[in-house]
Amino acid sequence: MPPKPHRVLLDRVSGYADEAAAFMRRRRVARRPFARLYYPHGRSADHAQDSRSGAELFVAAGRLIEVAGEKKR
Amino acid sequence: MPDAAAAAPSKESASAALAFLTEMSPDLRGAAILGAEGEVLAATDEAPERWREDAATLFAAADAAEGVPVEQVHIATEQGEVFAIRNEGLAAVSVTDRFALASLMLYDMRSALRELATPSLGPSGGPKSRREET
Repeated sequence: MPPKPHRVLLDRVSGYADEAAAFMRRRRVARRPFARLYYPHGRSADHAQDSRSGAELFVAAGRLIEVAGEKKR
Repeated sequence: MPDAAAAAPSKESASAALAFLTEMSPDLRGAAILGAEGEVLAATDEAPERWREDAATLFAAADAAEGVPVEQVHIATEQGEVFAIRNEGLAAVSVTDRFALASLMLYDMRSALRELATPSLGPSGGPKSRREET
């Protein structure tokens, strides 16, 4: 007997949610610090943390994070 | 520093835009809106001078990276994420928790600046957010 239509829909939605959750889990584990700059006309460029420009960007970002402080919950 | 000169919005409207941005972004830790000369129009805490200096340092470093003025900056570190954007002669800088959704954050910041620069564009009470639209 074929499954009820609402079951098919529920299974499909659950499948997508599981995939999204797995993707986010991996992203949290695998993500490394990065500095990305966006220019006019959609061009972007990544700067490695060990490059001179990247190091300057990370220092500037660190100072801003310090100014912002911890989140007020 | 912000790219083009524009009629400077009032500090009150900048504060309102910042309040709206804060309300829209649960991951936000702190933010500042800067005028055309790099002056702080609004900031989420009591250290506007620090925001001015550190935002200027960030934009200077970003511009120097390739010798071209940047439009947006996104830096992700272990301690948090930093977003900066220039639009309509204004600039905004935000610090969020890790893994904030970059596209939404930048969209909301751009909307806030656009609304500030041309108040007639958005609805009264603040810029329209994509989060509101969805």
